[in-house]
Amino acid sequence: MNTPSRSARLLRTLPWLALALALLYAGAALLPARDGRFALSQFARLPIVDLGRPKPLDTFARSTLLIVSNKQSFYLAETDGTADRSEAKGHAERSALEWLLDVMARPEVARGYRIVRIDHPDIKAVLGADPERKYFSLDEIVLRRAEIEAQIQRANEVPAGDRNSYQRAILELAQHLSVYFHAESVAELLLVPPTAAGTEWTTITAERHQVDEHGGDSPATDAYLQVMQGWRDDDPAVFASAVAQYQQWLGTAQPRLMRKIDMEVRFNHAAIFLRAIGLYVIVFLLAALSWLRMTPALVKSALWVLCVALVLHTLGLVARTVIQGRPPVTNLYSSAIFVGWGAAVLGLVLERFYRNGIGAVTAAGTGFLTLLVAHNLSLDGDTMTMMQAVLDTNFWLATHVVVITLGYASTFLAGFLGILYILRGVFTRGLGAQEQTSLTRMIYGIVCFATLFSFVGTILGGIWADQSWGRFWGWDPKENGALLIVLWNALVLHARWGGMIRQRGLAVMAVAGNIVTSWSWFGTNMLGVGLHAYGFIDSAIFWMFTFVGTQLGLIGLGLLPLHRWRSMQATSQVRAPRSVKQPTAPPLAPPAPESPR
Amino acid sequence: MSGSPIRALIKPLASLRLTVALLACSIFLIFAGTWAQIDMGIWTTLGTYFRAFFVWIPFRIFLPRHWDVPGGIPFPGGWVIGGLLMINLVTAHAVRFRYNRKRAGILLIHFGLILLLVGELVTGLKAHESRMSIDEGQTVDFAEDTRSVELVIIDPSDPARDWVVAIPESRLHQGKLIHDTRLPFDVQVEAYFHNAELFEGAQDVATSAATPVANSGFAVELGAHARPRPPSSGVDQDEIDLPAAYVSVLKDGRNLGTYLAALYFTLVPRFGLQDVQVGDKTYRMALRYVRHYKPYSISLLDFKHDRYLGTETPRNFSSHIRLVDPTHNENREVLIYMNNPLRYRGETFYQASFKQGDGGTVLQVVRNPGWLLPYVACTVGALGMMLQFGTHLLRFIRRTRTA
Repeated sequence: MNTPSRSARLLRTLPWLALALALLYAGAALLPARDGRFALSQFARLPIVDLGRPKPLDTFARSTLLIVSNKQSFYLAETDGTADRSEAKGHAERSALEWLLDVMARPEVARGYRIVRIDHPDIKAVLGADPERKYFSLDEIVLRRAEIEAQIQRANEVPAGDRNSYQRAILELAQHLSVYFHAESVAELLLVPPTAAGTEWTTITAERHQVDEHGGDSPATDAYLQVMQGWRDDDPAVFASAVAQYQQWLGTAQPRLMRKIDMEVRFNHAAIFLRAIGLYVIVFLLAALSWLRMTPALVKSALWVLCVALVLHTLGLVARTVIQGRPPVTNLYSSAIFVGWGAAVLGLVLERFYRNGIGAVTAAGTGFLTLLVAHNLSLDGDTMTMMQAVLDTNFWLATHVVVITLGYASTFLAGFLGILYILRGVFTRGLGAQEQTSLTRMIYGIVCFATLFSFVGTILGGIWADQSWGRFWGWDPKENGALLIVLWNALVLHARWGGMIRQRGLAVMAVAGNIVTSWSWFGTNMLGVGLHAYGFIDSAIFWMFTFVGTQLGLIGLGLLPLHRWRSMQATSQVRAPRSVKQPTAPPLAPPAPESPR
Repeated sequence: MSGSPIRALIKPLASLRLTVALLACSIFLIFAGTWAQIDMGIWTTLGTYFRAFFVWIPFRIFLPRHWDVPGGIPFPGGWVIGGLLMINLVTAHAVRFRYNRKRAGILLIHFGLILLLVGELVTGLKAHESRMSIDEGQTVDFAEDTRSVELVIIDPSDPARDWVVAIPESRLHQGKLIHDTRLPFDVQVEAYFHNAELFEGAQDVATSAATPVANSGFAVELGAHARPRPPSSGVDQDEIDLPAAYVSVLKDGRNLGTYLAALYFTLVPRFGLQDVQVGDKTYRMALRYVRHYKPYSISLLDFKHDRYLGTETPRNFSSHIRLVDPTHNENREVLIYMNNPLRYRGETFYQASFKQGDGGTVLQVVRNPGWLLPYVACTVGALGMMLQFGTHLLRFIRRTRTA
């Protein structure tokens, strides 16, 4: 019904519209949190040292609630056990910070909240509880204290490697409970920052002791007593004045610390990576739509939204780096963030050269998936963990770890391009001769990159190992995993140069690279051996197998005879038989992408 | 020329197909060698998979252990695959070598790879690792090889120095009679366990038939017995093999006593050496790690173990030591800490571990004549890749610009 000129105008404005919406969505991250009756946003900015790191109470509250209950907020209605989460929506929500205040100031009330997550049916049986329930209150658990303690002790007596799933689960519960009890013991938390040079963070108990012995001020003790009082008596004015006064004192005593704390609270509130996930989904949809009807406007919109997503992703990465004072990759979580970032940047570069939506789709796809992985990894608690002494060197973290992670990223990107090649070729008519050539070139180029990064990264790792414990190469599982990526990429390149694989073969082998990379990245940690094993999660094994399964399925699709590929039916050209041999031995490295299909 | 028999022989060796096949083999070998580490120690894996000519890969290593799947496949080991890769690489360059600027990158990459392989070969054959454990205030002039033990018999009667006779692990077989001219008596090995468990109380029937009974020394004092135990795996890094031996002292055909010598005694400070009475002379005996004496000594002045505030996570370990070497007129203080080893006289001293209660340090002492090779290899290889892929990239960018 639209006249051509109107639809053309609409198409012209589409990219601008997309950009504006994306910017709005991203910009909303910068809006400050709005307080209700209580000055919670200021309370959030009070500092604490937990797990060896100064952090805002905001982070402490979030990570503690995450560990105990696997979520960042809950609904009060859930806590009486009658409603599940979906029914409880719309009822009064308790944020992590409010919950922490309850735990600190009104522990008897907080202990009644059903928020301790228990999944293992045998533990529920020990509690004598309904197997359908997921969340339990501390009161309920303490009721069975003797039995639980006995169970924990029994599990503890079994050597770590021989524990069954029940024993692992009960020890996990024990650890969660100790985190809860830790948060409850306000006077024993490291809430008091050092007041003079050479002194350390200390507790309220210690501060009071100090004042009793030597006199002087106790700003932290005074502040927390009033804050707790205000919260207990439901008196926002007392609460606010105590927090404000203490904030003022902190601002003059610890200006640098407080700036960092402020930044971290803003970072927590902005939920940057979740926003980036949303934008990546939009980019993916826009670019995929553009192939149904090849419109430059859609490709352009995808590209611009991608840029916004990437800026957001980069900001998050930089913020973490600054807050932590560390290179970007320090643990499994941050490696996921960084892998996504690296892949998205490379994808954007591809899009810049080819402008056909492929780079945008792969950037969005890898960005989305890796951020999703990261989000699930973040459910373990604080993601800015301190590092074991041997890993604690900025130089090697900045070189080896960053480079090897870029190796993961580029291998994944190549694999994702391979998936596109297969899916578009098998299921659509969109993979014409031109798309085949350009996709192959992209895969080839990215595999070259991956080889470079994984090779240099692996060897830098060896050099670090030589520096740390005198062994360049220890055949440790993580080292072996990294080496496998190098060898796989080298194999792909040599097979291409030798004419053993062509365009389709390259795509299929790139997908297999995904399996190799996921093995190196996650699989090796699951073996539970080696100095590098920095993270092990039971459910991760399931997802690892699922991922490998999907990749094997895609490889199977890619190996279907070409006449079953819809794109190949469409072109219906006569192809040279696959077994044609090149007349002479190939030179060592012919410029591969130009060779015929 | 192309028809010459040498060419015909070399050509398949230089083929890219062989390269790809060998890369595939090495991927599988490394994959298997990783899984094997669930059951075996890293050093056993190293010996059976990577520094081996052939390896038997059991299927069960890839599967849950309780399935107990039998069977396996023979496979070329690291030496064979690495050697063939090397031959493939060298012949490829020999057969198809044509130097031009475009090839410089590839040449450099492959030269770097050759250096890496040579480096690993040198390490495999020549590198030697030992440990030096020093208590605070103590001075030590030897390093211990924690992968082999020796039975030592010490004559402490000379006030100036101890005379030590060391019997290597390789001679400690059950039934072996050890005769050494430096000793006025013979030592009969009654039993030797590479990894043993010590226990107190009555020996149970099952083990008593196989293991002898000690009638002198620590074993009698403590009422302790030893029984064999399977070797420890690589999964638990804290677990170590604790060898033990039952030995009898024989003089003129008479048994003067059967002793239980165990590494455990040596490692626990309150036990240490046990006395062996031969006539009116007292010798001392122990089963301990093989010692390598140095022409210099190291004293531990201070050991620091910092933790992150409020946690048990270690933040840093450091050993403040004094190095004294009369032969080189060296006498200086050194601080060894994580990622900052001391390199001295062809050996490198790393902060490896510490003693219980932070009372002492454990330094890893590594002699590896090939340690520099990977550094060179890395630089050369990375340069090559940047050159190669960089020129690719530049060409690609130029083409898209003009297109």
